[in-house]
Amino acid sequence: MKKIGILLLFFLIVGFKDSYELFFVPANWPKPLYDFSKNKITSQKVLLGKTLFYDPALSANNTISCANCHSQYSAFTHVDHALSHGIRDSIGTRNSPALMNLAWQKLFMWDGAINNLDMQALAPIAHPAEMSSNINDVVNKLNQKKMYRALFYNAFGDSVATGERTLKAFAQFLLTIISANSKYDKVIRKEEKFNDQEKNGYQLFKKNCASCHKEPLFTTNNFANNGLKQDTILKDDGRYKITKLPSDSLKFKIPTLRNIEFTYPYMHDGRFKKLSEVLDHYIGNISPSKTLAAELRAPIVLTSNEKVDLTTFLLTLTDKDFLFDKKFSYAGFK
Amino acid sequence: MVISQTNKKLSLCFDPVFGKNDPVLTDSVYFMDDKSPIKFETLKFYISGVQLFMNTELVWREKESFHLCGTDSDNKKIHLSIPASLEFTRLTFNLGIDSLTNVSGALGGDLDPTKGMYWTWQSGYINFKLEGKSEKCKDPKKEFQFHLGGYSGPNKSLQTISLNSVYKKEIEIKVDLKQFVNSIDLSKQHHIMSLGQAAVILSQAAAKCFSTQ
Ligand code: HEC
Ligand code: HEC
Repeated sequence: MKKIGILLLFFLIVGFKDSYELFFVPANWPKPLYDFSKNKITSQKVLLGKTLFYDPALSANNTISCANCHSQYSAFTHVDHALSHGIRDSIGTRNSPALMNLAWQKLFMWDGAINNLDMQALAPIAHPAEMSSNINDVVNKLNQKKMYRALFYNAFGDSVATGERTLKAFAQFLLTIISANSKYDKVIRKEEKFNDQEKNGYQLFKKNCASCHKEPLFTTNNFANNGLKQDTILKDDGRYKITKLPSDSLKFKIPTLRNIEFTYPYMHDGRFKKLSEVLDHYIGNISPSKTLAAELRAPIVLTSNEKVDLTTFLLTLTDKDFLFDKKFSYAGFK
Repeated sequence: MVISQTNKKLSLCFDPVFGKNDPVLTDSVYFMDDKSPIKFETLKFYISGVQLFMNTELVWREKESFHLCGTDSDNKKIHLSIPASLEFTRLTFNLGIDSLTNVSGALGGDLDPTKGMYWTWQSGYINFKLEGKSEKCKDPKKEFQFHLGGYSGPNKSLQTISLNSVYKKEIEIKVDLKQFVNSIDLSKQHHIMSLGQAAVILSQAAAKCFSTQ
């Protein structure tokens, strides 16, 4: 066990050698919303955060890591699982979202329950259907491991793990997960050109979708009711659960559409497996309710050719460099 | 930090009591007005933003003022150091954590989430936590759990407490749990673990239990 730990540490450090910009603001992007003044990015803290992210020892029975539900090859979501799978095969109540560009987000979770990226890790660690542990047990475990004492020392100048340090290290790794090198980005940077289909799809997107899925992050960071009929078993009220305001009923976080090709199934409960089902929803299956978004009250009309063009555009949001970038991966250890 | 000679010590000692004087111990049984027995197992609360006033004028405030207090003997007292010449007639503090701190990410010391005073499924500090047992609770284990918090909009549960006192080396502040549980019908309400109107009302009741006499 100890050997594996040291081996893991070795690979993580080696994988880290080819240095890169830990955090950067892509050209033409807005200012990040995360307050870096309280948690300055350093390579040692990011390394600690990454090690934690991939470590199943954080769960009650040492089986589930963050990466189980957030795997890099699917833009850090859980492919094929509509509702996330956690410890002892328990099934959660929501679809695990793709993780990227989190420094530009203020509230997290489908309902905005988490108010700061630092506090995010607390939720899955404690969730009985996810990792079923608690931050105290995690901190105690970390303090017993030689490997972590070294990692904490390098990151914080002190080998003791605390709740604050552990959470900040998690946030550091999450902040570095930036996707900004899709074909779309290259076109915006004038390095490549859209073909005619993509160009037309982009126009359709700007007309019908961009009010919520706003460039360049493909979200406004707001909550909206996009006309999904409420699941009768899950009875998820979305944002209402947090604010208790009737005007927030059935509103969910507007998700980014970056890497959408790989983040299926879609929506908070993973009800759609394919992008074509998503488009069919927006075209013909909007369920009316009091809080339905104004722009979806009148039907969106798209011909079948236009549907193809819009999909072609959405596929230009795939960022292969991001999906296969070694700096986010488990670097050689498995 | 070296405390300079021109400073004097001031301790605020929070004493949980049942009724006027009966000190609350976690292994003792107490009796409510209707003679029904009650036990307290956990009491934890945040005191923040300590300020001293001379009549209506603010004369001193503690910087970085966040303290986790409760029945554990090592967190009953807040130790302060104030200018030797300072006199005051009133002290104020918050029961709970302010909204800015609630959205400031991971913090250390008494605010570290390992202290058990932070909600996990929805961000925010628990301002006041009281747990125990009463026969009245319609709970299989006869337990009550009041975790009071909420920092924004109508759910804001932070309370400001103002108490009259002149300088003493140690100011004793009583926290009367009898008054608190008397304000609740335990047969109808024994479990609050999230924010909302009920938490706000009970937070107001909790604040009224603090007194210097
Ligand atoms: C059992 C599966 C599971 C595990 C394990 C898990 N997550 Fe998640 N994660 C989810 C689900 C499901 C959601 C959405 C929950 C919701 O909205 O209520 C989520 C949401 C998130 C979000 C918010 C994303 C956004 O855009 O709002 C972040 C960040 C995140 N998880 C990071 C982590 C970290 C860090 C860990 C490890 C400590 C972790 N997750 C472990 C399933 C999981
Ligand atoms: C009124 C705002 C709004 C508009 C307009 C809108 N969406 Fe959405 N979209 C949302 C919200 C909110 C969600 C998440 C809903 C949920 O899961 O409950 C979403 C989810 C999605 C998803 C699933 C993403 C994921 O990761 O699960 C896709 C794909 C999508 N929208 C594409 C589109 C397209 C294409 C258009 C234009 C035809 C469009 N949206 C128009 C608000 C909007």
